[in-house]
Amino acid sequence: MNQIKQFFLFGLVIFLFNLSPISISNVHAADGEKAGQNFSPLGVESPAADLWRAVRQRNPEGGENLVGRSQVKGPNASTLINVGGQEWRNWRNSKLIPYSMYALGGMLLVIVLFRLIRGKIKIKAGRSGKKIKRFTNFQRFVHWTVAILFVILGITGVILTLGRYGLLPLIGKEAFGFIAYYGKLLHNYLGPVFSVMLVVMLFTFIKGNMFNWTDIKWFLKGGGLFGGHASAGRYNGGEKAWYWIAMLAGIVVVISGLILNFPQLIPILNLSSEQFQQAQFLHAVGSIGLFVVSFGHIYMGTFAMEGAFEAMRTGECDSNWAKEHHDIWYEELQRDGSLTMNDTASNPSSNETAQTA
Amino acid sequence: MAANVKFYCDSERCIECNACVTACKNENEVPWGINRRRVVTVKDGEPGERSLSVACMHCTDAPCAAVCPVDCFYTTDNGIVLHDKDICIGCGYCSYACPFGAPQFPTSGAFSSRGKMDKCTFCAGGPEETGSVDEYKKYGANRLAEGKLPLCAEMCATKALLAGDANTVSDIYRKRVISRSMSTLASSGAIQQNGFNPDFSGKVTK
Repeated sequence: MNQIKQFFLFGLVIFLFNLSPISISNVHAADGEKAGQNFSPLGVESPAADLWRAVRQRNPEGGENLVGRSQVKGPNASTLINVGGQEWRNWRNSKLIPYSMYALGGMLLVIVLFRLIRGKIKIKAGRSGKKIKRFTNFQRFVHWTVAILFVILGITGVILTLGRYGLLPLIGKEAFGFIAYYGKLLHNYLGPVFSVMLVVMLFTFIKGNMFNWTDIKWFLKGGGLFGGHASAGRYNGGEKAWYWIAMLAGIVVVISGLILNFPQLIPILNLSSEQFQQAQFLHAVGSIGLFVVSFGHIYMGTFAMEGAFEAMRTGECDSNWAKEHHDIWYEELQRDGSLTMNDTASNPSSNETAQTA
Repeated sequence: MAANVKFYCDSERCIECNACVTACKNENEVPWGINRRRVVTVKDGEPGERSLSVACMHCTDAPCAAVCPVDCFYTTDNGIVLHDKDICIGCGYCSYACPFGAPQFPTSGAFSSRGKMDKCTFCAGGPEETGSVDEYKKYGANRLAEGKLPLCAEMCATKALLAGDANTVSDIYRKRVISRSMSTLASSGAIQQNGFNPDFSGKVTK
């Protein structure tokens, strides 16, 4: 029975091949140019192949996936093939993961090299012992809230992005899954808090962070990083640049993060997976960039420079530190008379006595 | 040599009855709002309308497994792509990468955030002990262990949805293609009822 079947099928195939030249001309003659679009070596249209070819391509008009209709209601239920998925996968696995490793590692290397070349940046005149109010309590509250949230979000984010290639092989899937699960929860719950605090920070620190001519001169002198003196106001060019990078990239990261965080919260938007891929792209690029730049800020604010960390920790800085790093701001304070209360540090003679004492 | 199992949905046979969707939901007792399988109709109500039943296609080079941050996916000897819900963190990356929209997420978490991912298992259960209560609760039925094929395909009234060893499935489909071609040729190619015209002419509905 089976042999008869096989024989019959074989006969069919032979029959088809023999007929093909005739049938091709037949179909082309009948359907004109339309048939030419379809791939049909035997001259017989294969509807399934054409259907799959059609749904695998982006909609030529909309640029998005071809969308059908489905009785199942859910995100992307009516999309048959999510075309962007493969592009997102390739981008994530061959670009994002290696390049973010290079960026994070490279920045750490740069900081180590800078430390070896430049060493610790000391207050040249030594500490005067006189304190100047630099940040209000509210400014410090906002700074440290954002800073702590930023570091937690950064570390949990890096675990999610790079952990599979770094931490997972070391501690195994179960332990890493546990860490990543609670890391994700922390990331998702702290993210919205960070969003609110970032907006508060935008308004808290915007005063004094507008770029002016002094900052261009500051950048031309390399910020005094490699010797020399670069004048600066309340904030120097680097601090202003970090403020604006943090705010602008931060807003992109926050908005894309909220989209990723609450996929179901706004069902009206009914975001497609293509839009989630774009949100994830912006979120990853923006936050890796922020994290890399933040290394520089954290290093400068803590280990690099004598007298810098205490300004944000206590809200007060040493007057000699202010004179050396923020001279224009210091002069302004002198002119305003804000320093009259503890002005002894401002004239050179008393400075010397303070040092000898 | 273990079989390499595949799904195939024959677009010339699917009548969008959604029996596969219902069978899957019932057999695996998936939570409300989760659909491991769905039927999508393109060109609905137009000439050349076609329906296809889609679920996880158990890719050989699975994008979900490639992008998973915690590496919770694994492929069985039968070529079935499964995942471990104890490791899954519900980040949603698999759903961004999947071409077929297979990964599903319960939204029962706080602020309707994503829970652990759920998807078609080819009715092959999961990493828990075969036939255990835990396996059924987390991953649904393990029909393969009982010597049965996925219920969606077994239920299919028109035998549009095929599941099983890839060679057998493609043999069945090949025979269908040849017999269809025969009927077309017998009518000298004049009757092209089956032709799918990929021209969507802007009538794509979202």
